[in-house]
Amino acid sequence: MIPFSILAVVAIAGALGVILGKQPVHSALFLVGNILALAVLYLLLSAEFLAVAQVIVYAGAIMVLFLFVVTLLTAGKEESEPPEDLSGQRWTAGILAIGVGGALAVLAAGHPGPKVAAGLPVNFGNLHGIGHLLWGSDFLYLMALAIMLLTAALGILVLNRPMRRTHVRHQRRKEA
Amino acid sequence: MSSMHLMLPEYLLAGFVLLTLVGNMVVGDRVRVASWLGLIGLLSSFVVSASIWSVSLKPAVLLNGGVVVDNYSLLVNLFVLLAGIGAILLGWGETRWGQEFVALVLVSVLGMMILGLAGNTIVLFLGIEVLSLPLYILAASEHTAAGGEAGLKYLLLGAFSSGILLFGLALLYGALGSLSFINFASLTNVGTPMMWAGLSLTLVGIFFKLGIVPFHMWVPDVYEGSPSAVTQLMAFGTKVGAAAILLRFLDFGFYLSPQWWGPALGYLAVLTMIVGNLLALPQTDLKRLLGYSGIGHAGFLLVGVATHSLDGARAMLFYLLPYGFAVLGAFAVLIFVAGNQDSVTLSDLKGLASRRPLMAAFFIIVMLSFAGIPLTGGFVGKFYLLQAALFANQPGLAIGLVVGTLLGLGAYLRPVQALFSPADESRPVPQWTVGGAIVLAVAIIGTIGLGVYPTPIVHMVNQSANFFWLH
Repeated sequence: MIPFSILAVVAIAGALGVILGKQPVHSALFLVGNILALAVLYLLLSAEFLAVAQVIVYAGAIMVLFLFVVTLLTAGKEESEPPEDLSGQRWTAGILAIGVGGALAVLAAGHPGPKVAAGLPVNFGNLHGIGHLLWGSDFLYLMALAIMLLTAALGILVLNRPMRRTHVRHQRRKEA
Repeated sequence: MSSMHLMLPEYLLAGFVLLTLVGNMVVGDRVRVASWLGLIGLLSSFVVSASIWSVSLKPAVLLNGGVVVDNYSLLVNLFVLLAGIGAILLGWGETRWGQEFVALVLVSVLGMMILGLAGNTIVLFLGIEVLSLPLYILAASEHTAAGGEAGLKYLLLGAFSSGILLFGLALLYGALGSLSFINFASLTNVGTPMMWAGLSLTLVGIFFKLGIVPFHMWVPDVYEGSPSAVTQLMAFGTKVGAAAILLRFLDFGFYLSPQWWGPALGYLAVLTMIVGNLLALPQTDLKRLLGYSGIGHAGFLLVGVATHSLDGARAMLFYLLPYGFAVLGAFAVLIFVAGNQDSVTLSDLKGLASRRPLMAAFFIIVMLSFAGIPLTGGFVGKFYLLQAALFANQPGLAIGLVVGTLLGLGAYLRPVQALFSPADESRPVPQWTVGGAIVLAVAIIGTIGLGVYPTPIVHMVNQSANFFWLH
């Protein structure tokens, strides 16, 4: 219970840091902290494959990509927050989020479902268990994900085209 | 015979997605090659779905309950393939939206078909994502400022709602200990707080896709900024997919416990019908008007689910078709009138009655079907919904439906009124296109046909909605 509590605090602190960080680089680094805390949580559940994949894929590949993008886009720029249109919406949203999150946490702690009470299934999160799922009963789901990734690649192609010059619509709005 | 042939429509479409991508690389008229391949793919999938529908009457559960192929899923296939064919024909030969347009439409239609046959929560989530991801891209594919705004807005809000949906599904799994809808029914007899939390979060995610009122903010902006053919796909196809999974999820997974979701759905349905149609009244942009009208129609669809009866399920399923035909027809005319422009205001419609009488007449029929005037499909659909609400002893729903319809009538008559105003001679006369004319003809035949002789389709729908009493 004590290791879990420490890790939970680290993970939540990292998540808060992502939102509250003023600089995008800081947010990205806080995200690394969050991801690593989750990876250790997986280790506690003896899901060694999930933990390693979490570190390699998220903390390794995806975060490096994030950092590249952040440094390329914001290098040498003074980032200033745009003024809020709706004053006080951050505080309201924060209080609401804490309220909902707290209520869900109380629910989860007070009324664990049968799946939670039953404990972990065999081979949870290790190479054998994941491989059995992905290449066995859930293979078609994997194929659907493949099509999604293909779509994402197509999206990069489509969205990277230069923007059209003619803003017919805006000209017409001015006329009207 | 192995049961895998039952998913042939989905396999065909997935194969044609890849073929279309290859078609994009072929030298020559790439857009045309891709369009033909996409059209052939959708049509073949349509034919296969229809033939399986006519043969198989027994529901087949595949992949450990992850996929349920029955008449219901096949009928959903037919509806969304119709929307996809409409989108391809409306965007025929259009180079503004990029050559990937066809492939992305195909992927999105595949996602809608997956939603139709989802039997567990993993497939539900996968379907929502496969449907949404291409639509985010398509919304921004026109590369105008409004298109970028539409794409970004849809992506951010859509990703957020997907997160809520996934959280809800995880809580449901924790509370029920199963992913399959089939197992839900016996597990939901006893309500636990975690199940209520999961159910409400899941419903929020699905309502977002459907455009139900507290979660409708994105609809008008996204509809306005997206290319018209894509907006048609969102208005028809996405609504079919989201409504199909909502009906399956609630009337199949939670059918023994309507006391937990029925009242909430009823209130939201009334709110959506009234707010959507009310906000449609002051709109001057035709796409925004159709966006608010889509919100209002999502409320009408929700009436069918909220009644929690076989009549309601049938009425909702039937209503999707006249609504879809009206959407197809309205967007065909909108594309004719828009020409090279990105949007159509009500003043662009002025003088259409004298310049293009046939086009104007078709547009009036479509608008009357939206409004629910007799002799159009919209009337029959609203009639069945009203009947379902009254049979279920829910007069509040019926009153909301009537009030919403009356408000909608006002909104739909404004474009019709504009048709008869004197024309602005500086605007070019709208030109017919072949693809658009085919779509418009099918939409008009469908609208009038459903209004005058709905019996065959009603029989088809009645057979397809029988999944409700499956177990």
